[in-house]
Amino acid sequence: MTKLILIAPLLFASLHVGVAAEEWRYTDGSGQTVELDEVPKRIIASADAAAGLIPLGIRPVGIYADSVVAQSKPLQGLDLSGIEIIGSVWGQIDIEKAAALQPDLVIAEYWPMDGNWSGGEVVTGPESPLRQLVPVTGPTQGDSILSLIEDYEQLAASLGADLTVPAIEDAKRAFQAARSEFEEAVAAKPDLTVLAVWAGEDALYVAATEGAAELSDFSRWGLNLIDPENADDRGYWETLSWENADKYQPDLIMVDDRSEQTMATALAQPTWTTMRAAETGAVTDWPAFWLRNYAAYARELEHLTVAIKAADQHLTD
Amino acid sequence: MTWADTAPVRVLADRRIVGLVAMVLALIGTALASIGIGARSIAPETVWTALVAFDPQSTDHQIIWALRIPRTLIGIGVGIALGMAGAVLQGATRNPLADPSILGIHAGAAVLVVIGIFIFGLTSFSQYVWLAFAGAGAAMLFVYSVASLGREGATPVKLALAGAATTAALMSVVSAVLLTSLNTLDEIRFWQVGSLAGRDMSIFTQVVPFLLLGTVLAFAIGRTLDGLAMGDDVARGLGQNVAVSRGLAGLAAVILAGGATAAAGPIAFVGLTVPHLARAITGPSYRWILPYSMLIAPLLLLGSDILGRIVAPPGEVQVGIVTAALGAPVFIALVRRRKLAEL
Amino acid sequence: MLEKSRALPVTSARLALTRHELVVTCWLSLGLAALFAASLYLGDYVVAPLDVVRSLLSPFTGVQTQGVDFIVLSLRLPRAILAILAGAGFALSGVMFQTLLRNPLASPDIVGISTGASAAAVFAIVVLGWGGALLSFGALAGALLTAVAIYLLAWRDGVSPYRVVLIGIAVSAMLSAVISYLFTRARIFEVQQAMAWLVGSLNAANTSEIIPLALALLILVPTGLLLGRGLSALQLGDDTARALGSRVELSRLSLLLCAVALSAFSTAAVGPVAFVAFVSGPIARKLLGTGRNGFVPTMVVGSCVMLGSDMLAQHALPNTQLPVGVVTGLFGASFLLWLLAMSNRQGRV
Repeated sequence: MTKLILIAPLLFASLHVGVAAEEWRYTDGSGQTVELDEVPKRIIASADAAAGLIPLGIRPVGIYADSVVAQSKPLQGLDLSGIEIIGSVWGQIDIEKAAALQPDLVIAEYWPMDGNWSGGEVVTGPESPLRQLVPVTGPTQGDSILSLIEDYEQLAASLGADLTVPAIEDAKRAFQAARSEFEEAVAAKPDLTVLAVWAGEDALYVAATEGAAELSDFSRWGLNLIDPENADDRGYWETLSWENADKYQPDLIMVDDRSEQTMATALAQPTWTTMRAAETGAVTDWPAFWLRNYAAYARELEHLTVAIKAADQHLTD
Repeated sequence: MTWADTAPVRVLADRRIVGLVAMVLALIGTALASIGIGARSIAPETVWTALVAFDPQSTDHQIIWALRIPRTLIGIGVGIALGMAGAVLQGATRNPLADPSILGIHAGAAVLVVIGIFIFGLTSFSQYVWLAFAGAGAAMLFVYSVASLGREGATPVKLALAGAATTAALMSVVSAVLLTSLNTLDEIRFWQVGSLAGRDMSIFTQVVPFLLLGTVLAFAIGRTLDGLAMGDDVARGLGQNVAVSRGLAGLAAVILAGGATAAAGPIAFVGLTVPHLARAITGPSYRWILPYSMLIAPLLLLGSDILGRIVAPPGEVQVGIVTAALGAPVFIALVRRRKLAEL
Repeated sequence: MLEKSRALPVTSARLALTRHELVVTCWLSLGLAALFAASLYLGDYVVAPLDVVRSLLSPFTGVQTQGVDFIVLSLRLPRAILAILAGAGFALSGVMFQTLLRNPLASPDIVGISTGASAAAVFAIVVLGWGGALLSFGALAGALLTAVAIYLLAWRDGVSPYRVVLIGIAVSAMLSAVISYLFTRARIFEVQQAMAWLVGSLNAANTSEIIPLALALLILVPTGLLLGRGLSALQLGDDTARALGSRVELSRLSLLLCAVALSAFSTAAVGPVAFVAFVSGPIARKLLGTGRNGFVPTMVVGSCVMLGSDMLAQHALPNTQLPVGVVTGLFGASFLLWLLAMSNRQGRV
């Protein structure tokens, strides 16, 4: 570890003394522009941002997550070997380990609704120690996963990623194909209605389309999602007592798949099957909030398309 | 003994018996209301048809049998258990603040449930039952053992301190898991409110033997509580073995509160408030406090649950929240009104 | 009630220390100093002990090594100072409550002051979307309002300790229900944020957290120590209240206010860190072994618990940094349990 002590002065010097050739700048969703004297190489990423960047060939040196990385849905299936995990608790980051990684930049996602970056105020806020060490930037959470991925593409390209390598182009093509097929399947069933839910033991939570970026994408691509009548004050969910589980009658139900437990919970409820779609098994996964790259998006769209093709659009007419 | 000596006592006893009968009737009424009223409005005739001629095709009938009846039974069972457990604990520990949550029972249950979700991926309340029960029992046993060390055994102060300390230690473990696991946090936030929703009949049948056993044990030791409540020296003077009495009381409380927590999650306020309410009605004798607590608690719990079902349609408010919202003001009024209840 | 007739477990406190108490307090302070030194030295970023000292002196001697100075001066030092201040604040507040209300359970975590701060903070996070200084302010206001409410509700020809505790617990239960309700209604991200706040952490250690707390302690600690002299005469009780008249009532009220403010400021700075307020008094009492509460030794114990817990939380698990509140509960509570188990004189906790 002694070498860290020797290198550390260089790290701090590099932020101030510009000797490099190429300047780098990025303007984020909060309107802040980060300017660096050279293209940042050593990046610390939030789990979400890492899931966006790794498939594009940008490997961060460190990742911080909201929970144990093994449970992180966006990072599933990605190769994390050699990447330091510097946080696995919400609001907690090992700032000394972060410093030891000699980062040039932190990439996180900006949440306009809360005015916060991934990890929250304590980790990435203006007064956080991390900010004293290194600038924070990244794309903004909006109403489309697709445009979020495109933001990551742009960001990765600026960081020197070669987006024309076959693996990346293949993933993008696979996504485009999956999307066309999805749109065709949806167009073929104009009367199909779909409900996105989260199932708890105490109640059924019906999702509002505009509260989830991928639902907004699906809706834009023609899917007829049922919007709850009385979503709560922030406009995300309507809470239905299990006694009222049959309030909406969709032809197909999507169940939040961030945790496998949700589907098990739903299936165990006696009134789950008061929805005709649940009774006939027209139930599929909803990749809720976690998609960050083409490969995962393609996979989930294909999965959803199969369910749409199998669904009966006149089930609840 | 002359007629004049005994008459007021007998009148008082009669009045208490009348009170008990009235409360039994009220409980039956509330139970019926609990079957009839819910987040979904079902006409009384339909409720009646559902009860006498069940039609599996009817959603309304399904809701009556699969949701409301188990929920009502669990509400009654849990209420009885919480009321009795609170009364027994307050008497045995001579502490008006004694409550299952303060003696570590809820924290013990929570730890094992959280670990069950985190490590074994458990998902449903019926899977939590045994974990919650085991955790509650182990925590209470531990609190009791720690407090019993030393010459004079488990005194009220040591029990209270050991209980609070154990709770804090266990809740630390809970927090550590919840902070690292989003999925567990997402599941547990609905369990830890304390609710009667989402429980099926299997939970009731699993828990009910314990509730019966605990109730019988609580009544069996009811008389020794009066002695304990007067102080260890008095109890000894009455010929009681203080350690054994207190141990049995602890056992009854664990079985009852453990069973209740296993079935409904940690409902904090009922066990604390109800014995105080009972004491306000009956006076200090546990011969009366126990049966009154046993009836007031399910009334409060079931009544609160019904209220919770109808205040936020089409959703519900969990019973643990309603009991706190209703119980706390009542408790405060009680504390303010009375020349403070001495135990 | 708790041991009503017998000598109450928490009966008296004095500012003046006996010789024995002084010795114990000195040892405790040495322990705190050792913990402080260790906390400046330990970390993933290895800094040699001599470099730590050089860095500490760098504000006077000029910059030594920028990287090391950042680690020592911007990370470790503020964190340790915040831990010491908040620990002392919680501990003093706790022991004042316990002494005034004559009940070892009567610490601000149990009688609802912390719950008031927590409920306000969770409401601010989940409903209002607040953060930062605004959130701290909300928590502070929540704690103070709750304390006032409890006091007013408990007031009836004076304030009896028993009534304060009972009403405090009732208010606390109600506010916990509010928190639970908000938890079930919020988005999981907000729940996480609220949960992290509720556990309490030193992660936000910087001057904007430290200075308000330090100023508050600078006023409140001497006030509390002065008011606390001869506290046994000031203990709450309906009968004593009548006998002693309103001047005593006033100083008791100021003492209570002082304890509430200590708890509120500490909570606003680091969150409702579990159990430091509750446990420090009994631990100090055990260590002193005289059956009396010492305010100064209790504060030192509080700082030790906080600092020691944070070091464990930061360094005990590989790859996982936990917030300090996770460990204070475990650490403080285990220590108290050990003391309870070891004690052979009952009731002397």
